[in-house]
Amino acid sequence: MTAVAVLASAAPLTAGSVAAPVVISGRSSSRSMSLTPSAQRYTGYAAVAAATTPTNPGVFAPDPALHLLRRATFGPRPSDIASIRRDGIDAWLSRQLNPGRIADPLGDSAWSMFPLASATPAQVRAQTAAYSWDAMIATAMATLGRQIFSTRQLYEQVADVFANHLHVAIPAEGWDTSSSYIGDVIRPFAMGRYRDMLLAAMRHPAMLLFLNNDVSTKAMVNENLGRELLELHTVGLGGGYTEAEVVQSAKVLTGRTITDGAFSYNSDAHWTGPLAVMGWSSPNATAAGGLAVGDSYLAYVANHPATARNIARKLAVRFVSDQPPTALIDRMAQSYLAHDTDIRAVLDTLFRSPEFWASVGQKSRRPLDDLVGAARVLDMLPGPKAADVLVTIQTLYWVVRDNGHAPLGWDPPNGYPDVAAAWNNAGSLVNRFTMHRALVNQWWGGMAQAGPTQLVPVTPGMTAGQWVDALSLRLLGQPMAPAHRDAVLSFAQVTAGSPVANALWQAWGAVPLLFDSPYYQLR
Amino acid sequence: MTTTGPLASSATHSVAALQAAAGCQESQTQERERLWGKGFNRRRFLAGGLGVGVAALGSQLTTARVAYAAPGTTTGTLVVIFLRGGMDGLSLLVPGADPDLPTLRPDIAVPASRLIALDRGFGLHPSMAPLTSLIGAGRVAAVPAISTPDLSRSHFQAQDCLERGGAATGTQTGWLDRVLEVSGPGTTFRSVAVGGLMPRSLAGVDGAISFGSLAGLKIQGSGDGPWATATSAAIQTLYTGVADPIAAQAMLGTDAVTTAARLAVGAGGTTAAYPQGAFADSLKDVATLIKRGTGVRVACLDVGGWDMHTALGTVASGDMTSHVGDLAAALAADLGPLLDTTTIVTMSEFGRRVEQNASGGVDHGHGGVSLVIGGGVTGGVKGRWDGLSTAVLQQSGGDVPGANDYRDLLSEIVSKRLGLTAGVTAERLPGVAADVARCDGLRCPVRPVRPESSPPCSSGADRACGWRGTPAAPAPSGPPAPGRPGRPGRPKGCSASGTPTSAAAPP
Repeated sequence: MTAVAVLASAAPLTAGSVAAPVVISGRSSSRSMSLTPSAQRYTGYAAVAAATTPTNPGVFAPDPALHLLRRATFGPRPSDIASIRRDGIDAWLSRQLNPGRIADPLGDSAWSMFPLASATPAQVRAQTAAYSWDAMIATAMATLGRQIFSTRQLYEQVADVFANHLHVAIPAEGWDTSSSYIGDVIRPFAMGRYRDMLLAAMRHPAMLLFLNNDVSTKAMVNENLGRELLELHTVGLGGGYTEAEVVQSAKVLTGRTITDGAFSYNSDAHWTGPLAVMGWSSPNATAAGGLAVGDSYLAYVANHPATARNIARKLAVRFVSDQPPTALIDRMAQSYLAHDTDIRAVLDTLFRSPEFWASVGQKSRRPLDDLVGAARVLDMLPGPKAADVLVTIQTLYWVVRDNGHAPLGWDPPNGYPDVAAAWNNAGSLVNRFTMHRALVNQWWGGMAQAGPTQLVPVTPGMTAGQWVDALSLRLLGQPMAPAHRDAVLSFAQVTAGSPVANALWQAWGAVPLLFDSPYYQLR
Repeated sequence: MTTTGPLASSATHSVAALQAAAGCQESQTQERERLWGKGFNRRRFLAGGLGVGVAALGSQLTTARVAYAAPGTTTGTLVVIFLRGGMDGLSLLVPGADPDLPTLRPDIAVPASRLIALDRGFGLHPSMAPLTSLIGAGRVAAVPAISTPDLSRSHFQAQDCLERGGAATGTQTGWLDRVLEVSGPGTTFRSVAVGGLMPRSLAGVDGAISFGSLAGLKIQGSGDGPWATATSAAIQTLYTGVADPIAAQAMLGTDAVTTAARLAVGAGGTTAAYPQGAFADSLKDVATLIKRGTGVRVACLDVGGWDMHTALGTVASGDMTSHVGDLAAALAADLGPLLDTTTIVTMSEFGRRVEQNASGGVDHGHGGVSLVIGGGVTGGVKGRWDGLSTAVLQQSGGDVPGANDYRDLLSEIVSKRLGLTAGVTAERLPGVAADVARCDGLRCPVRPVRPESSPPCSSGADRACGWRGTPAAPAPSGPPAPGRPGRPGRPKGCSASGTPTSAAAPP
């Protein structure tokens, strides 16, 4: 951790500020972090929260801090709740928006258990057999480990959004190229400038292979990447481009290829001649200049208003609702443009919006959110034996993969869907109910966490009802409605007035019900 | 040939709409021609623009009627088997009498002498032998040269187009969902997907349920008997009064768990011996659900492994022979009386090129083959077939043309099997009208993924899994703790055939 010193200057986030990107390397060998100097202390969120009434909160009690934790983290650990209660919404969010200020020893430790995570192509080739999945799987498992253990929860959420936005599937064909992608392209810029991320992606062998640009030449243009660049990565479907411009987009990128697993520019393959896409144009006269021409094109489309809306919408869908209000998207897009594609500026606008604070209960958990969230809410921590911790992280990866939502694991280039309708699936929900029992009852071992009877202190004279209430407060942050509380008591074959000891016998099956419930499944 | 006259099955489509569709398709094709003429695809779709619109229109005018023997069988179960990866129709339903096939496929064509004879000069792959008696009884129909309107040759786009029933841009629901929506309320198991994730064809609000296996459809760790019941009851109460779609899923899921538990103990399920393999396991679960009267109307199963760019093989050995054999053996295991009320249809996102490639395989093409089995089917080869002459292939860019439209076939099956009127079916499975709407975008609404230009077989390991099947997951490290229920099953990346896994397992 070398980050904190970089934060001395606290310039306000203003239009045109040219900030160095946040660099949080995924490499276990160089886990350093430098930060943009524009790390202002963000304020004003709590005031908006206080002035906003949730539209349709459903089961949720009015508590903006918990709303923020449900959205900005995979799930709050008790320490997260304590921290936001102690410091307030503004301080907590300001810290999360400046992840370099947050030490992350557990996240670092989880990541470093996978030496091949984010390995370079050369490292993968040197250390694994050809076509081995080892580096890809290690990277995906390390990502899961960090999501569970990292204190930089908002950053992990945003990194997940952009990993799915500029998506390269892991595992897939890129056995040697794809493991470094997340550390080279996504994580360094997730709290930085989108333009920088886009430029990095379009020079990364993993992306070039995933969308076939490595075989795209002037003689035989492959339009895959050129099309997805417009349709998925920047202006979006309906962004106003034509099929002819897709062709031009692909021509711009010809010559970006892979040599021995590394990015290279092959000028012989670059298509030369005038090109124009969506208002950008270049004489593109020389093959040697093709790479720079491409960068100018990428920078242009990154700063396009349609791209701004596309990025704004992605973030709003993650953090606000499946159908975010247009007015919010407009304001977020304006921030994106005014701040030179700075992702944090867009997030700042989002968290400052009444739309965000009104959206209580409008999102729901997907399988990965469910698994990681439950592990965190249960305060799962690494146990004393690193080897056992490793095995459990590996097992959790296969569990969530079984549920169709392994980190980075979506096959097509559009990333996992982020809306509930795509995940509404009763069979999958049943699997998740099983998962809750496994996590609560520690089937997999290796971790340090309180068992189901130890989650809340049992005091002398405590009733079963008081125990369920305490449990609700501990796991959900709020009490359940009487009928829902009764459902848990009834499962445990007790009434509210029964001695707590009678209920504790059924803690193994009662505690998971809280994770099954809408108080946890909705967010 | 049982093809009926023009528009017989499309009475709701006006001539004007047809003309508009023809114009639309023509302009689409010309646009593609223009792009691809500049080298934008490895292959050109059509050799020239001449007659393109008419050819496209032709597929709208023809219907691939499976010709139900007798009306009245309007209830029962539809089993949809999706062969992921682009099944090579010319290997399954072989035009043995075609003089051009042996020339175009010197190494991989199924010899005419080895075919299980059907009619019209076609025969089935010899690995279909387990179904011989059904074929002889006229209960197996096959439609060659069938496709969706999608022209992309992209696995993802073509699958999506097919599973949405060729619906227009903006339609997010699957064709089966839309069909089921109007077929009235049903049981928990009215629409099921067994063996994997929910297929796009069932996407929507219909309350379809997908699960890996019937045996796995339980909340593990919820204890035995009464505790499991209490768990489901508690979850249902927790979602009572909750106004969010997840509440319906929770109810559906717990209901299914309860029913599955009952099925696990009672008699009356299937007793047939099934072959090994994930597909056979899933099919056995479907048979159990049907036989136990759980009200299954639609069951979806996936079989991966059909993306055979290399080493398709011969009738003696190879991927095609083993895949078809596995499929046929599983299908044959338990059919019989069930077939009176069950219709099985296979589909695949596209067929493959006619000419074999340099790797002894075939690349992505267009027209494929659909099998329809049981449920009042009259057997034999249905639909339009133009042969594989040079003239035909020039027109189609080297593919089997999409002379028959999946939507026509599915419309007919749905209207008969699920008892929908022609008007309702047409509304739910939009054909020509959707083509008009698609004119706006000049292409199918979804993105192509890993088109053929991707190196699908770079490792040789993932090829057999189809594009979406990354190789089967290596075994996880560490068993569950002793005495605890096991974890849920592995996803079936490689599906039925148990073909290769990754080259190296994780630590």
